[in-house]
Amino acid sequence: MGVRTRLLRFAAGRPPVFVAAAPGGTRTRLLVESELRRRNGRTAASPAAASVLVVCGRPGAALAEAVDAVWDAMPGPRALVRLDEAASRAEVDAGIDRAVRELSDVAAQQADAAERRERGPWSPSGMDGHTAQSGGHADHSGHEHHTGLAMAGRADDRDGLKLDVLHVPLGPVLKDWPAGLVLGLTLQGDVVQAVEVDVAEGAAGGVPYWDEPWLRAAAGERVTVGEAERRRAAGHLDSAGRLLAVAGWEGAAEEARLLRDLALAGEAPAELPARFARFARRVKGSRTLRWMLGGIGRIDQGFAGRHGLTGPPARHPGDVLARLHGWLDGTGEALVRTGDPAPLRGTDGPRGPVGAMPSRAVLALLPELLGGAELAAARLTVASLDPDVEQLTETAWTAHE
Amino acid sequence: MSETTPAWTVVALPLVLAGLAYSAAAMDAGLRSGGGIAAPLREGVRLIVQQRRRMHAADMLLVRAGVLSLPVAAVLAAAVIPLGRTAVWDLRVGVVWFNAMEVVAWASLWLAGWGVNSAFPLVGGYRLVAQGLAYELPHMFALITAALGAGSLDFGEVAAAQHGLWFAVWMPVAFAVYLLSALAMAFWGPMGHPLADDLAGGAAAELSGPDRLVFFAGRSALLTVAAAAAVPLFLGGASGPWLPGWAWSLVKTYAVLALLVWVRGRFPVLRMDRFMAAAWLVLIPAALLQALVVGIVVLT
Repeated sequence: MGVRTRLLRFAAGRPPVFVAAAPGGTRTRLLVESELRRRNGRTAASPAAASVLVVCGRPGAALAEAVDAVWDAMPGPRALVRLDEAASRAEVDAGIDRAVRELSDVAAQQADAAERRERGPWSPSGMDGHTAQSGGHADHSGHEHHTGLAMAGRADDRDGLKLDVLHVPLGPVLKDWPAGLVLGLTLQGDVVQAVEVDVAEGAAGGVPYWDEPWLRAAAGERVTVGEAERRRAAGHLDSAGRLLAVAGWEGAAEEARLLRDLALAGEAPAELPARFARFARRVKGSRTLRWMLGGIGRIDQGFAGRHGLTGPPARHPGDVLARLHGWLDGTGEALVRTGDPAPLRGTDGPRGPVGAMPSRAVLALLPELLGGAELAAARLTVASLDPDVEQLTETAWTAHE
Repeated sequence: MSETTPAWTVVALPLVLAGLAYSAAAMDAGLRSGGGIAAPLREGVRLIVQQRRRMHAADMLLVRAGVLSLPVAAVLAAAVIPLGRTAVWDLRVGVVWFNAMEVVAWASLWLAGWGVNSAFPLVGGYRLVAQGLAYELPHMFALITAALGAGSLDFGEVAAAQHGLWFAVWMPVAFAVYLLSALAMAFWGPMGHPLADDLAGGAAAELSGPDRLVFFAGRSALLTVAAAAAVPLFLGGASGPWLPGWAWSLVKTYAVLALLVWVRGRFPVLRMDRFMAAAWLVLIPAALLQALVVGIVVLT
C-alpha cells in the first residue's frame, strides 16, 4: 500500500458529511443522522467543508439541479451517497461505508479530478445558489463586470441609504433547513427586503412522514394513540433541534436530536420522559436563549387568523421563543401518552390538522413576516415555524409577495 | 526583565504555540464528537490533500492575505507574551502590541469573507464588523485596567506587579470582560456569529483545502494566544510554588484555554443586534467603573 493511499485512508477516517434531504426523504434523513452520531461523525455546514454528500430521498428536477450544484461545489476527494426514501438502516450504514472507501480510492479520485478539469470551472450561466450575484431590480443599466457577472445593483434601504441589492436564495439545500423550501431573498447588507417563496419538490410522492400515523388511521388502519404521540414528540424534537442549531447552541441541538431518535425507537426507554424533562428545563432556563430569541418573528392572533395559521404556531402566538416553548410543552405532553394502546382518532398532527396542509399557511405568511428582518432573525423565524414541504407534494404551489 | 532573550526562543515560539493550538483543537474535537487526540491531525491531512475549489470571480489575493494573516497575527501577538519570565520580544508596550495584532484578525476575517465573492461569507464579514464594535472597547478598557494596576504596558511588569494578589481577584470585572472578549478575538463559541452555521459557516463557508486548514489553525492559535495573555494580565504570570516559572505559565494557560474550549457549544451564539446594547450600556460602563476603582486604589 502506497504512502498516498495510506494518507488518504487516514484522512477519510471521519469525513465531514453534508446532508441534502428531499421532501419525502425525512425517514432516511433521520436514519442518516442517527448513523452519523453512532460513528461520532461530523456534519458539514457548507459543501466546501464537506467530503461526503448524502442525498436523502429522491429529488425532483429543481432540487436535483441544486444538489448537482452542491456536488459541483465540493472539493475532491469527495464521495456521493444517494439513499432513497425506503432505505433501511443497513443500507444507510453500507452507503456511508462505501463513501469512506471511495474517499481513499486514489484511482477513482484521480479520475474524478481529471473529469472535472476537462469540464472547466463553474461559470455564471449555470444555476448556483451560493456564488451567484445577479443585478438588482433597481438598476437595469446592468454594468457587466469583466467576469461576465452583473454587478450588484443599488437601491435605497430602510434608512434611505443607497446599498447594494443582492438576490440570495435560501435553500433548497442548506443545513438545518426544511427540506425543499426555497426562499428567494432580496438582501441589502444582511437585512431582508423582500421574500419569494417557492418549493423544490421530491420525485417520490408518498405520505408525509410526520403526519403518517394520523393519515394511516384516517385510511382505516389500526394505529394506536401511543404510536402517534411518539411521532408527535419526535417531530417537535426534530423541529426544536433545528431551531437550537440555527441559534448556535450545538450542545442542546444534539441532545434534542438524540431524544428524537430515542422517542422513535421501537420501545422508548423508560427514562426518556425524565431525560426530556431535564433537557426542557435546561433550554427553558437559558437566559441567553431567552435574550436571543425573544421578540423576533412575532405572530399575533390577528396575523395568524388572516393567514389561516393552525396547529402549534397558532396555539402559541408570540415570538420565536414562544413557539420553541410550545414545542417543548407539546413534546412533554406527548411523551406521557406513548404507551396509550387506544386506537387513534382525530386529525391533530404535529403541525396541525393533517390533510389540511397546515404548512401551506406558514409558507403564505413568510414574506410578510420576514420582510425587514435581519438574515439571522429570518433564519430563526423560519426554523421556529419549520414548515413541512412534504405536506404540499400533492399540489404544485408557489406564493409571490 | 533586562536580560537578552536567547535566539532559540524565536524558533521555539511557533512550536510551542502550535503545540498549544493543536491541543486546543484536540480538546474541542474530544468534547464535541469524541474524535480523540488524532482528530485535528486527521482533519489537517484531509485538508492538505484536498483540492482547492475554484470560485467564480473571487479575489484570491485578498482571500489568501486574509487567511495567511490569521496565524501570522497570532504568532506576532504571542511574541510579546512571556513564557516563564521571558518573552521572545521584550517590548515596553507589549499590551498595546498584543491589542494591535488581535485587531489584525478583524482584517483577516473581513478580507477572507469579502474576497470569495459569495453572499454568506460577505454577511459573515458584516457580522464581524458589528462584533468588533461591540467587544473591542470593553476589551481595551480591560487591558488598560490591568496595565493601570501595574503602572506599565509591559507584560512582564504587569505580571510582576501581582505579587501576593492576582489581578483576577481584585479586578474581577476586567477579568470577566477579558474572558468574553477572548472568545470574540477568536470568533469562538458564543462569539462565533461571523462563522455561524446558519450562514453555512459564514466568512469561512467557501474555504477549502489548505486555505481552510490555515484559517482554522490560525483561529486555534488566536484562541491560544488570548488564553496565554490572560496569564500575565490577570493570573499572576509565572509565579507559583514548586514548579518552575515556564511550567506555571503553561499550566495556567491550559486552564484558561480549557475553559474557553469548553464554553463552545454550551451557550447559544450571541447575535450582535442584541449584544451590542448590552456591550455599550453594561460592559463599557462596568469596565470604566472598574478602571476608576483601580485608578483610585493605585493613587492611594
